[in-house]
Amino acid sequence: MVVVNDRDHVAWHEGMTVHQVLKAMGYSYVLITVSVNGKHVPREEYETFAVPDGADFKAFHLAHGG
Amino acid sequence: MAPVKVTFTINGITTEALEGSFLLASLKANKIDVPTLCHHKDLVPNGTCRLCVVEVTDRGKTKTVTSCNFPVKEGMVVSTEAPSVVRNRKVLAEMYLGRWPNVPAVKEVAKKVGVTGSRFSSDLTDENPKACILCGRCVRACETFIQEKIIDFAGRGIKRHMGMPFGEVDPHCVGCTSCAYVCPTGAIEVIDDMNHPVDPLLIRNHGMRVNAEMANLDPSQCRMREVGTANIVEVMDAYDLLPVCNYKFGSHKDTPKIDSKVLKEQYFTQGHADQCWHGCSMACAKAVDGYILKTGPYQGDAVCVDGPEYETSAGGSNMGCFDPDFIVEFNFYCDTYGLDTISSATTIAFVMECFEAGIIDTTITGGKVLNFGATDEALELLHEMARGEGFGVDVGQGIRFLKEKWARELGADAAFLHDIGMEAKGLEYSEYVSKESLAQQAGYTMAVKGPQHDEAWLIFMDMVNNQIPSFEDKAEALYYFPLFRTWFGLMGLCKIVWNDVSPADNKKHPPQEAAKIPEHVHNYWKFFEGMTGIPLDEKKMLDQSARVHNLQKLMTLMLGYGTRQSDVPPYRAMGPVTEEEYLSRQERYDGQLTANLGLDPASMDLPAKMSALRTFRYEQYDKVLDAAYKRRGWTREGVPTLERLTELGIDLPELVEIAKKYQ
Repeated sequence: MVVVNDRDHVAWHEGMTVHQVLKAMGYSYVLITVSVNGKHVPREEYETFAVPDGADFKAFHLAHGG
Repeated sequence: MAPVKVTFTINGITTEALEGSFLLASLKANKIDVPTLCHHKDLVPNGTCRLCVVEVTDRGKTKTVTSCNFPVKEGMVVSTEAPSVVRNRKVLAEMYLGRWPNVPAVKEVAKKVGVTGSRFSSDLTDENPKACILCGRCVRACETFIQEKIIDFAGRGIKRHMGMPFGEVDPHCVGCTSCAYVCPTGAIEVIDDMNHPVDPLLIRNHGMRVNAEMANLDPSQCRMREVGTANIVEVMDAYDLLPVCNYKFGSHKDTPKIDSKVLKEQYFTQGHADQCWHGCSMACAKAVDGYILKTGPYQGDAVCVDGPEYETSAGGSNMGCFDPDFIVEFNFYCDTYGLDTISSATTIAFVMECFEAGIIDTTITGGKVLNFGATDEALELLHEMARGEGFGVDVGQGIRFLKEKWARELGADAAFLHDIGMEAKGLEYSEYVSKESLAQQAGYTMAVKGPQHDEAWLIFMDMVNNQIPSFEDKAEALYYFPLFRTWFGLMGLCKIVWNDVSPADNKKHPPQEAAKIPEHVHNYWKFFEGMTGIPLDEKKMLDQSARVHNLQKLMTLMLGYGTRQSDVPPYRAMGPVTEEEYLSRQERYDGQLTANLGLDPASMDLPAKMSALRTFRYEQYDKVLDAAYKRRGWTREGVPTLERLTELGIDLPELVEIAKKYQ
């Protein structure tokens, strides 16, 4: 299980990437900053960075709009 | 697809870079000092000055290239010190020095490549230390920053020079000062005499930071230049935040019919900077030319429509109208009549729900069948509102008036009308669904002039990021953001360049700080300082704003809207009013009953579940109000304490007298 933003849960599978976690959450926003277990993950690594089981996954959406 | 890295050598040292990136960046990353005159970090390189030449061997072929615009390739061999490179640079530097011997940037480059004099002095030699060296940065800046070609090369050969068309000041120039910002010699000077700022250069330098971000980051961020605020139609739909059918729902299958792609491809014809904020290059305003009106007093006329913006499209979805022609026409007539698109759309959405709920019928609406999605009827109602005729007389007075009238005269269920009538303090809500964000519910409803979002927009921080989980966290956000937003509004500064583009390295800040976009707040302080000479910090800024914000609060008290009761939203802003709404997000709500209240939804009927959720949400809202009032220095009734008025230096007798009544 991956814990997203200290609240939501996504079922984990072997080889799960940042991109797959974001997709599972429906997060399509362009201004997202991701960290996994406290480590910032650059956008160019979303499709290759492996998210471990039990990871503390933060997807920080920078507000615009409003 | 993830970017690919390539490996190559520079002066025998192996290095790697992203495929497609330019070689000059790799040279700099490897601490190799390369002379340039035409290169600028915020401009697309074009190799004009030729000084950055290097030798590249790729698949057996060796050639001299300009490194600033040469894309790196796998396996290539780069030399920055090959004899031909050194020779080329020296000759070039001599030629520059021969024509512009006193320009500091030229002298510096010549010194860097080992040239102290020139063989090329002639009648063309220009002794001016601020001479234009024809590097072309200003031309590219005009095109990149403002998407114009106001300044360009003119003349040929030795008569080549820079200028505006026919040597006259072009009225399309918005005064963004990009050309002066990138000029390496000072040949372009800006004379700042508007409003007599104390330090115009400080203002320009920070303004250019915004313009540079717009040029380089906006295309991959919010696309404000491309589609303006309409870019968030599809974002809000994806996050269940787009109001649909009087805020019942947060998304709809037909949203792609009115999203930014449709508006861009089929409607927008204008999108250049319109100088609403002098020198700003964001160009977020869009317009539709040649739209032929289908209804109303100008039916058949081809008109120019200013918009649509996000809120106008979202007003369409809120009325259940997913027809872009309708949205453009509604936009035009609201503007023409002087009606607010948000209040008009939210009010009509309320009317439509009342019609579908059987509270009103065609005998009340003047024969109009006002179901959600009734585009023709909605426009006719808008025309009636403007003319002051028929059903439009009542609807034009807003939701609060309609709720009271229909409860009183039609015997409608006042509690239900209150639940679905999206207004507070007499103003209609703007176009976002706030049900899952406690902080946004408070941000909207506590706003002193009614539930609009220019005091606080906390949906992402709260609902999506979960970065303000405690009541104290939410209270802090409800202190800072309303005061910051009030402050820049007071200063005549725009919200859009604060957070509709973001510095590339904003992620270096922890999330709570990142949400403020510290570099952009700093820009705003510098605009203030450049204008007035008074330096600012966060406390000074917030105190300036708090004086006005608390004064506004006292004014709402004078108008009868300033107490706690006025800060409580209709339940539609907080949760599901109808069974249809609950069932549309049953998994979410059932889950919350279990997680937050320890209930077993499977053993409860629908009314019991809805009641439990409603009670819980009101309790939560009360707690957030308590925390926010406390942080602001207000009483539990939402009134500034006398101590707070003294602290802010606004304890004038007439103001104290107003506040005293509510202590």
